[in-house]
Amino acid sequence: MTKYILKRIGYMILTLFIVASVTFFMMKLMPGTPFSNQDKLSAAQLKIMNEQYGLNKPIWQQYLIYLGNLLHGDFGTSFQFNNQPVLSLIMTRLKPSMLIGAQAMIIGSLLGILLGAVAAINKNNWIDSLATFVSIVGISVPSFVLGVLLQFFIAFKWHILPIALWNGWQSSILPSLALAVSPLAQTARFMRTEMVDVLNSDYIELSKAKGNTRWQTVVKHTLRNSLIPVITILGPLTANILTGSLVVENIFSIPGIGEQFVKSIMTNDYPTIMGLTIFYSLMFMVMLLITDILYSIIDPRIRLTNNKEGN
Amino acid sequence: MKFKRMLVASASALVSLGVLAGCSSSKSAQGPKNTVRIMRKDVIATMDSSLNTDIIGTQALSDTMDGLYRYQGKTVKPAIATKVVKPTNNGLTYTFPLRKNAKWSNGDPVTANDFVYAWQRTVNPKTKSQYAYIYEGIANAKEITDNKKPVDSLGVKALDKHTLQVTLDKPIPYFNQLMTSSTFFPQDQKVVEKWGKKYGTNSKTLVFNGPYKLQKWNGPDNTWNEVKNKDYWNAKDVKVKKLQYQVVKDASTALNLYQSNKLDDVILTGDTAKQMKGSKGFNVKKMNSTFYLEMNQEKDPIFKNQKIRQALAKSIDRTQLANKILGDGSSASLSTTPSNMSYDPNNKSKDFVSDTKQSAKTAEYNTKEAQKLWKTGLTETGQTGKKFNLTLLSDDTDAAKKQSEFLQSQLEKLPGIKVTLNNVPFKSRLSRSISGDFDLVVTAWNADFPDPSNFLTLFTNGASNNNGHWNNSDYDNLVNKSLSTDANDPTIRWKDMTQAQDILNKQQGVIPLYQVGEAHLTNNKVKNLDYGPSGTYNMVSLRIHK
Repeated sequence: MTKYILKRIGYMILTLFIVASVTFFMMKLMPGTPFSNQDKLSAAQLKIMNEQYGLNKPIWQQYLIYLGNLLHGDFGTSFQFNNQPVLSLIMTRLKPSMLIGAQAMIIGSLLGILLGAVAAINKNNWIDSLATFVSIVGISVPSFVLGVLLQFFIAFKWHILPIALWNGWQSSILPSLALAVSPLAQTARFMRTEMVDVLNSDYIELSKAKGNTRWQTVVKHTLRNSLIPVITILGPLTANILTGSLVVENIFSIPGIGEQFVKSIMTNDYPTIMGLTIFYSLMFMVMLLITDILYSIIDPRIRLTNNKEGN
Repeated sequence: MKFKRMLVASASALVSLGVLAGCSSSKSAQGPKNTVRIMRKDVIATMDSSLNTDIIGTQALSDTMDGLYRYQGKTVKPAIATKVVKPTNNGLTYTFPLRKNAKWSNGDPVTANDFVYAWQRTVNPKTKSQYAYIYEGIANAKEITDNKKPVDSLGVKALDKHTLQVTLDKPIPYFNQLMTSSTFFPQDQKVVEKWGKKYGTNSKTLVFNGPYKLQKWNGPDNTWNEVKNKDYWNAKDVKVKKLQYQVVKDASTALNLYQSNKLDDVILTGDTAKQMKGSKGFNVKKMNSTFYLEMNQEKDPIFKNQKIRQALAKSIDRTQLANKILGDGSSASLSTTPSNMSYDPNNKSKDFVSDTKQSAKTAEYNTKEAQKLWKTGLTETGQTGKKFNLTLLSDDTDAAKKQSEFLQSQLEKLPGIKVTLNNVPFKSRLSRSISGDFDLVVTAWNADFPDPSNFLTLFTNGASNNNGHWNNSDYDNLVNKSLSTDANDPTIRWKDMTQAQDILNKQQGVIPLYQVGEAHLTNNKVKNLDYGPSGTYNMVSLRIHK
């Protein structure tokens, strides 16, 4: 296992290097410059600015300098926020996005698993139909629409939770719920399909024959074996949600990371674009790795190393 | 997909109904006492007055710092300077006596040296101030930003601790207005040097000499608080103890927060603004910003014909564009220079636009006249019967797309015109405008300082923003005179500028569309929210009705 994880970390570093390189060169193709008043800047000012940000050098040199700085953990300073280090910018904005993202994933996946399981156990009756309806609605209604509805009814009309703004944990509940709907729906769908298959397996019949109750069979055999496809989708879903949802953040006025990314692109804030792209990629790869490790924990038949190493 | 769309549409309709229903059930509960809670559309990018470029930062700086002057209503009033100074030496020298009781929040006195230091720091090319160009006209400023002269050669010096003298290269007729700008605020050298690059990146790195002090602000924060500065020289006039700013991006969230009494002043946009128009607390702030259409004369020589330009101008129903298509508080405009910005020096109730309204009638919407002018223009240019396929370049925001579609429908009323829309991101629009890759482009200009010359110079021959390349020697002559030979005579200068605007209006060198307006809902407890000609509020005047 350790060897496998080390190998995967090696691949992650390689992938990050490729992502950083491709992003760097694509970013340079974007129209305009990071200086909003370029036509008002004197030639001397432009020269100093280009020198200080290294923009006067050939692109390949800028690329090597950037990679060199990256190795030292230096992501540079933002153009749009004068002299703010990109790393501290990401860290400041990350906390709210991570909080609502993590809560959304926990609520969404747990409820989704439960909903899918209940639907499968009650296959083809009204409970199943209801669960399917909830899944379809969950997939069809975008999180921002749900966000607006939650905000209006729960916060504005009934005064149960804050409408928006970021004032303590209470402020994170509604955006988390809005974001949870997608993982809930997707997990429920996958869980139901897989569990229906598992429930038809021979070993389930065997478990019943051994005198296990329905509840014991479901908990001991069915649930665990149905989780593999669910875990497959949870990895990328978590990465997407943890990195924040621009629209939901905007609706609830959350100082998150999603908006920062869009803004950095609009303003040609090169260091921030690079920092956030690398961060997103890293997040995505870490989630895929966790997914793979979870596979082997849930189903010991899945081995992360080849047979020779495994034996 | 259809199902999804239906769900989205139903949900949106439900929300809209709910929002409207909510209007009648708004809460009248009191907010925190002696605090005004204000919405902002974005965060503060920097609190370094040398580096700030946007209105959010300008407002925060105006709340917490004080310069030589401050706007009170439409009038320039003394702030750190003890009086509004009249220039000597043919308009080339300004000598400002400064208040002796002004001090920074760390106890340091505010001295003439703080101005000298801040100004020299701003024009120093190493500071990379994107607004250093505003200093042009102050002796040697241009040469310093061009790195041709040393920083200490700037025409500003401290005659003593409390006397500041500024020398100009040429008279700047709007110099006193300029002195209200945050770009000219003083800085405490000791503090700036202590924090270096970190100065202005969070509240710990700052000291304040204005009515309020910024608290617990940490760079890209969505919320910031300002508390009354007891050390402010005019603290007795500051009656509101705390200002609480909150970034809200979504207009319906802003409305919900306002109606739940969580915010006292919010900005509405799009449909939300349209819905709330006419309701209690609704008001519109006219911004010093206009949108206009430029016609590329170099690419399409047909635009060199005056009647063709007038025909295009007359074919656009601006009232419909502003009220129905945008509906965000913007107002139809027949002038590229904004209204409510600058006033006749001999009659303060008369604004620049009302003084030039006669010539602006050239652009008034009239389809019949437009078609007649179009026909004559085509005959004059020998293009009768020809088809024109024109590309309309604009931004890619939702509002810009709607606007482009509307303009397309209006312009295509003229026979033979087909308009193709090209909506691109802001940076692309800018680079394509500069390179001349367009037939028609929707452009906006936001005033750097509240003087008509800031707009009029845009369309002089060879100006970097004159992307349509319209030119007129009489116009150039009048604009130049207003900034040189007539600069010291406000009456003649005003006449120069109104005459120049008349030429631009009559010739439709560019086609004005609308003046940007910001729709607000303001709680009736908030009084004297004093919005000045430079686009910021003077919070010294702010009061709470109890």
